[in-house]
Amino acid sequence: MSLIVDSITKRFGSILALDGVSFIVEPGRIFGLLGANGAGKTTSMRIVLDILRADSGRVTWGGAENISLARRTWGYLPEERGLYPRMLVGEQLRFFSALYGVPDAQARSEIDDWLERFRIPEYRDRKVEELSKGNQQKIQFIAAILHDPDVLIMDEPFSGLDPVNVRLLKEAFGEMRDQGKTLIFSTHQMETVEELCESIAIIDNGRVVVSGAVRDVKRAMGRSVVRLATGADDHDVAWLTDLDGVRLSAQREDYLELAVADGHDPEAILRALVERGSRVKRFEIAEPSLEEIFVEHVGRRAVDEADEHLAAVSRGGIAS
Amino acid sequence: MSGLLPNAYHVARREYFIRVRSRAFMVTTILLAIVVVALTLVPTILSAVGVADPPEVAIAIEADDLTSDPVVAIQAALLIGIGTEEDPDAGSSGRGDRPRVIRADDPEAAAQAVRDGELDALLTITSDDDGELAFDYLGSASPTNQTRILVTQAATALAIEERLEGAGISPEESARIFEPPTFTATPVDPGDDRDADDVGGAFILAYAVVILTFMAILTYGNWVAQSVAEEKSGRVMELLITAATPRQLLTGKVLGTGAAGLSQYVVIIVAAVIGFVANGPISSALGVTGDAPISLPDIGIAMMGSFAAFFLLGFVLYSALYAAAGSMVSRIEDVQQAAGPLIFLAMAGYFAAFTGLNDPDANWVAILSIVPFFSPYLMPARMLLTSVGTGEVLMALAVLLVTVGIALAIASRIYSAGVLLYGQRMGLRSIWRATRVAR
Repeated sequence: MSLIVDSITKRFGSILALDGVSFIVEPGRIFGLLGANGAGKTTSMRIVLDILRADSGRVTWGGAENISLARRTWGYLPEERGLYPRMLVGEQLRFFSALYGVPDAQARSEIDDWLERFRIPEYRDRKVEELSKGNQQKIQFIAAILHDPDVLIMDEPFSGLDPVNVRLLKEAFGEMRDQGKTLIFSTHQMETVEELCESIAIIDNGRVVVSGAVRDVKRAMGRSVVRLATGADDHDVAWLTDLDGVRLSAQREDYLELAVADGHDPEAILRALVERGSRVKRFEIAEPSLEEIFVEHVGRRAVDEADEHLAAVSRGGIAS
Repeated sequence: MSGLLPNAYHVARREYFIRVRSRAFMVTTILLAIVVVALTLVPTILSAVGVADPPEVAIAIEADDLTSDPVVAIQAALLIGIGTEEDPDAGSSGRGDRPRVIRADDPEAAAQAVRDGELDALLTITSDDDGELAFDYLGSASPTNQTRILVTQAATALAIEERLEGAGISPEESARIFEPPTFTATPVDPGDDRDADDVGGAFILAYAVVILTFMAILTYGNWVAQSVAEEKSGRVMELLITAATPRQLLTGKVLGTGAAGLSQYVVIIVAAVIGFVANGPISSALGVTGDAPISLPDIGIAMMGSFAAFFLLGFVLYSALYAAAGSMVSRIEDVQQAAGPLIFLAMAGYFAAFTGLNDPDANWVAILSIVPFFSPYLMPARMLLTSVGTGEVLMALAVLLVTVGIALAIASRIYSAGVLLYGQRMGLRSIWRATRVAR
């Protein structure tokens, strides 16, 4: 019953938007689709939803091709939010439910339930244009799920929400997953992915650069991370990188991050510190974060550019 | 591929109610209804305030030896063709416009009255030594002035009568000479039994059908395009296209908007009927003997049915393409530009129909009345004004129906490709490219 995206290719004129994109989403899981802007996430989603047709490749859900499946299989929250601005919230939601074939009575009670859950029951008889952006987004989310789809596909569902609403939405995600729904979403917020997703695919320039269970993706990086904080006056850490297989990957305000290559024991660092008599305030062995993985696969060039830009800004700041 | 229903119905229903509940729709409809009622009452009101009084022409006779009284003769000549001499008031639908003739006993006073605007014209009749009549017309002397034209004709008739008299031909003989011959016209179509009285009403009805069709296509077609462009620019489109197929969306949009437009038409027609019905009581209340109402030709159920079919199919044909035009633009302001070719086509049909109304039997009218895009205008007009074989009507309908099918297919391809393309201006080539990759 999994969703299988099998080497889909899509060309817009001279631009190759997707170049053999493949990934598998296990049913009843939350799947993260990561990528920089313009990487091909939205196009992939649209092809899965059969709003767009791929030039080649296929998409199957439970063995059936997506083009043969009923539309109510899918729920979709597009990145560009849009509702009828002058239509009442309740009427609008009933309209979309009707398009998916939900009986009106059922739609009404579901709408009331969801508005209640999102703490906006008083907006049912208000026009959409009178609502704040965040509340409109909640309405749009409700519109995507009222017909009880098996697969829910969301493009940047958290963007523009305040922390309270992000929390509400995450709870709704978990609950839907527990009901056996399959959720796919794209985002830039890596912490959210770490928190919610069992598996991911990272897309860059129309290709999947890495995909699979988050745990496997992290292991495949071939290293672990040590977060280390030593005594306040002990700033000389250069000697640490002389250790075999150890590399300084980031210097934070109050701790260091060291990358330890596979086949080397991270505890060697701890032993070396103890031998030198340093005071160890923090020593933590961890897997590399998704952010690191993302940056390593996609954003090296982008990150360098960003750093140069930052450096230029700070130089300018000093000069003035 | 899913069928049209029920989603086309849901889309149409939403479209209809959003439209008819909008303030703009209500205001426009009410205003149109008021205007229509006012228009139907205009002739009655005008005659009540005297504006519609017939022109008055005074005749000063400075000629001798006239065989008949020119005042009587000219008045009779002025009324020719709109009533019989025995009963000048009968069947006089246009009689109110014909000038009334009075005798000017004091030519100077009459001339002054013309200058003061109390009289419309003064006709002075003189004669030379040979008894040849000469006429001197004082009044609005523009060559297109209706009174002047009519009086000129009446004066010519009088002069000819006098000359014949001088040549020794008695009034009885001359009346016999100018008697029209027996002329019988037998229609090819034995069912075509309309007479001269029907034609006037048929013309008015034909104009009404052409104008109403044109207005419906331009106004409501534009609504369809606007509404598609709004959904696209407001980004609701992506939700819609996920929930329903382009064909369902397009069909629902066209039908919903069409239904709203028809509702507006019904209100206007009801207003017109109310106006006509109210005309009688209002005229008698105002003490005006109103003109006899225009008699509309007797059109059968079959003809009404085919009018409705041409109107609806024509509307669907145009508005499906309007929807496609609306889907091609990213901003609502660009709708008019994208719909330009359609507006041009609709105008071409409209003007062809107006020209064709003057010569409904011309070959080019017969041909154009079969051609889709033109047949919704021309065929109903032709059917009203001349006899058209059932086979021709059915063929025009069949051609139109097939074209509607093709147009819907093409329009939903353009629509499904267009609705997700933002930013770029779409030329024909990019549309074509897009339709090949859309679902």
